[in-house]
Amino acid sequence: MTGATMPGGKAIPAEPHPAVSLRLGGDIVRQFEHWPDQDAAAEEIATHIKKFWEPRMRHELMAHVRLGDTAMPRLLAMAAAHLVDGDYDHVEAQAPSGG
Amino acid sequence: MTLIIEPDFGTPAVTPSGDAASDATVTIDGHQVTVPVGSSVLRAAKEAGIDIPKLCATDSLKAFGSCRLCVVEIEGAKGTPASCTSLCSDGMVVSTRSDAVDQVRKGVMELYLSDHPTDCPGCARGNCEIQSAAATVGVAEVRYGLGGKSHVEEHADESNPYFTYDPSACIVCSRCVRACNDIQGTFALTIDGRGFDSRITPGGTDFLSSECVSCGACVQACPTDALTEKSIISLGMPTRTVITTCAYCGVGCNFKAEVKDELGAGGTVTSTVVRMMPWKDGKANEGHSCVKGRFAYGYANHDDRQLEPMVRDTIDDEWRVVSWDEAIAKVAEGFTAIQAEHGVGAIGGISSSRCTDEEVYVVQKMVRAAFRNNNVDTCARVCHSPTGYGLSQTFGTSAGTQNFASVEQCDVMLVIGANPPDAHPVFASRMKQQHRRGARVIVADPRAIDLVRSPHVEASYHLPVRPGGNVALINAMAHVIVTEGLHDEAFLAQRCEDVTAYLDFIRDPQHAPEAVEEEIGVPADDLRAAARMYAAGPNSAIYYGLGVTEHSQGSTMVMGLANLAMLCGMLGREGVGINPLRGQNNVQGSCDMGSFPHEFPGYRHVSIDAVRGIYEDLWGLPLDPRPGLRIPNMFDSAIAGSFRGLYVQGEDIAQSDPNLNHVRAALTAMDLVVVQDLFLNETARFAHVFLPGTTFLEKDGTFINAERRINRVRPVMPSRVGKDEWQVVCEIARAMGYEMSYDHPSQIMDEIASTTPTFAGVSFDRLDAEGSLQWPVNDAAPNGTPTMHIGEFVRGKGRLIPTQYVPTTERANRRFPLLLTTGRILSQYNVGAQTRRTDNTAWHPQDLLEIHPSDAELRGITSGDVVELTSRVGTTRMTAVVLDRMQPGVVYTTFHHPESGANVITTENSDWATNCPEYKVTAVEVTVVTEAARAEHARDAGLGADAETVGATS
Repeated sequence: MTGATMPGGKAIPAEPHPAVSLRLGGDIVRQFEHWPDQDAAAEEIATHIKKFWEPRMRHELMAHVRLGDTAMPRLLAMAAAHLVDGDYDHVEAQAPSGG
Repeated sequence: MTLIIEPDFGTPAVTPSGDAASDATVTIDGHQVTVPVGSSVLRAAKEAGIDIPKLCATDSLKAFGSCRLCVVEIEGAKGTPASCTSLCSDGMVVSTRSDAVDQVRKGVMELYLSDHPTDCPGCARGNCEIQSAAATVGVAEVRYGLGGKSHVEEHADESNPYFTYDPSACIVCSRCVRACNDIQGTFALTIDGRGFDSRITPGGTDFLSSECVSCGACVQACPTDALTEKSIISLGMPTRTVITTCAYCGVGCNFKAEVKDELGAGGTVTSTVVRMMPWKDGKANEGHSCVKGRFAYGYANHDDRQLEPMVRDTIDDEWRVVSWDEAIAKVAEGFTAIQAEHGVGAIGGISSSRCTDEEVYVVQKMVRAAFRNNNVDTCARVCHSPTGYGLSQTFGTSAGTQNFASVEQCDVMLVIGANPPDAHPVFASRMKQQHRRGARVIVADPRAIDLVRSPHVEASYHLPVRPGGNVALINAMAHVIVTEGLHDEAFLAQRCEDVTAYLDFIRDPQHAPEAVEEEIGVPADDLRAAARMYAAGPNSAIYYGLGVTEHSQGSTMVMGLANLAMLCGMLGREGVGINPLRGQNNVQGSCDMGSFPHEFPGYRHVSIDAVRGIYEDLWGLPLDPRPGLRIPNMFDSAIAGSFRGLYVQGEDIAQSDPNLNHVRAALTAMDLVVVQDLFLNETARFAHVFLPGTTFLEKDGTFINAERRINRVRPVMPSRVGKDEWQVVCEIARAMGYEMSYDHPSQIMDEIASTTPTFAGVSFDRLDAEGSLQWPVNDAAPNGTPTMHIGEFVRGKGRLIPTQYVPTTERANRRFPLLLTTGRILSQYNVGAQTRRTDNTAWHPQDLLEIHPSDAELRGITSGDVVELTSRVGTTRMTAVVLDRMQPGVVYTTFHHPESGANVITTENSDWATNCPEYKVTAVEVTVVTEAARAEHARDAGLGADAETVGATS
């Protein structure tokens, strides 16, 4: 956003606005890229998103999927597909996490 | 209400063995008493109701036998031995009075009185044991006269802001020296000189300049007026006691708040806290304290306290004081209007980890029932959320596995990413005591913290892991243990799952110490030796802090620690375990109370119909089954325009959260920011409504510490703002159309207990009766649960999870060649809102940037220089101090003063699973600034013209 000011008028530096879902999704993907079974990794990521992500974050992710955003990591796109299909670990998605 | 005077039994209690055959029955003055073998005669007499006079003995310290006042006669023994050093044996017969005993005591007492001021103020106010001892002994005259050397010509040391040392009243009993050594473990005091020239000295200087950490143990131990709180001198003795719990760190020390009540005009009573005395029966602290809990409570009455609600239309307007009704109406109308225009999910709340469980519970209830969404989160997000995630994944429950007392059974302590002497000082004292008893210490930290080497402390290994290298480190330790066959195969077979996959993973040579040595900066030989030491135990425990969690792989690292403990069978008994040192007084509690966007109290997901049904039935409305926004996501959504209203309770996000320009932009973007706090803090600069909060001295409820111990917090004085915080939250909810009310906070705990299985057996009555309880407290564990996962894990079998090291994207580079990590210091607490408003500023008036000599020399930096600290997201200025406890390539600072702007430069990077910010790894450059800028910095920081010298110390 641009044009924000602190109380008293000092300008807050404008910042680029990368899609939060892509940034946070990318962080998750990096933890699973080493999995030999990438489909299983995609299911794990889908489960995590289902468990923790608020709807508007999921909607933003899906919007990027629909747009065919080339910046989206392939594993994240696979996870999004799992979410659409309801193909995630339903038990883990409701398991206690405390964080 | 009365003043609680805890009896002093003279020598420490001996833990009963449980075997009656090992007890001793002794006869003292004709009275029989049975005590555990090893108990002193002095203690046994006290238990029999017989007071033997004493001066050098106190039950917090081992017997010393120097004052010769507690002498007795023992049948069959020669002479008149000291009862404090004489141990009971079965059949012993003791006489505490006889002509010989009385003669010795009178002679000793006369010598003490000959060197004691006749006008001792302590005696006058009843704060001096000399007076009571003399009365007991029955001294009528002092044959040596009263003109002996009484050091009256020596000045009292008043350098410490909280207590004085007056040599004229000192009897050189050495209780203070022993307290500093044996309890606190600082060894700051000694006795200088001999005979009448003897005096206590804090190392040849004054107390403030010495190594004294101002814990107050010496003051508490002193039997005379020599070491006395300045508050006692100025206010006089207290008249009543309230047992309560400290509101600083996650140790959760219990204190006796000693209060003086004065009747004023119109019959009003003014209560003043005279002093905070550690409570001996406090299970977390056992009668010890630190400078913060013991002395730094003055912020409750600081002039900066905002006691009235205030509102303004924009953040550039001046504040207007209004009534509570007007303020709450503005909150409710504002939030309702935002939701009407932007949707139900456009508002949310952040609860405080410094407020009580009851207060946090009603905040999450307000958000869920009145706001009708799950946009509620707590400061655990930015500290120990990876602990919750990691331990839930591996063990099935998101909390530490032991109690603090478990350290007394520990043989090897692995301390990683934590600095207990600064951040959890009372528990650190217990760690150091166990270390002196022979336990070995392994420290994994970028800095050489005091647990590496300090008086009577020497770690067996210091693993100086570079910031960001934690997971590689822990994997390397596990690799050593598995490839060398040091793992506990029986434990793994019986109690764990996914074992084969994990063992195959960790055996891979990529995890070998030699393979990661250069990356993480830890010599392979030391790493191998440390791993072997941990595996060998027999009892090895892991203690860790935010240096583990505040990383992009924080959750992964916690799982790695759990893997290590399971590999070696270090779980399910005393002396072992995974022990997260939670930073704040109630961060554990705020997590337990469901202050999470995805979980109800008790860590149950909001989507579980059966759980949600419990609350829907009780609260009388449907609840959202979808996860809400975490704190960082609230900021992102605010900037995106979809999140526009925020209630912030006791949390200074505009100082404590990372990437502050982003936080400020988010707050500025919102239509309504409501802050409930003690002071107008950094976040309040962006607020439209300020609701005054209450300190722990005004609260009635519970805190939960790092060992899952539920402690009572009792009001010492009525709320200074006219309401309790939980009442304010209920009024906001009602004003928004949701009927929520309670008559007393105990009813809130009753509701928690009725809906949360791990709290089923908890109530205020039970806590009042038993002092404290460690959850789970339910039918399976009616008296609480000191040690978890005995026999089996909460999830059944412990889960071993491969923890692949994925380096953080925040790397040192040519432009930013240093790595910044952050931490805490003893005398200040978190963002300093409380401690900066006490005399603790004597020790840490500003945050400093610690830099290694080689890095400093390369940049022309010397201690005291003002430097510019720059990262890819921001710049700030600080004063540098050159220290060789740092390692080359790493700089360090604290975040207690808003002027330092430490979080202006921390980044948006976070833990992949929980979004806990990666505070501990920021690539920076440090450059020296000009003399003119230095003066400007000193002015901005509120430092005087003499704020020049910052000494370089090792």
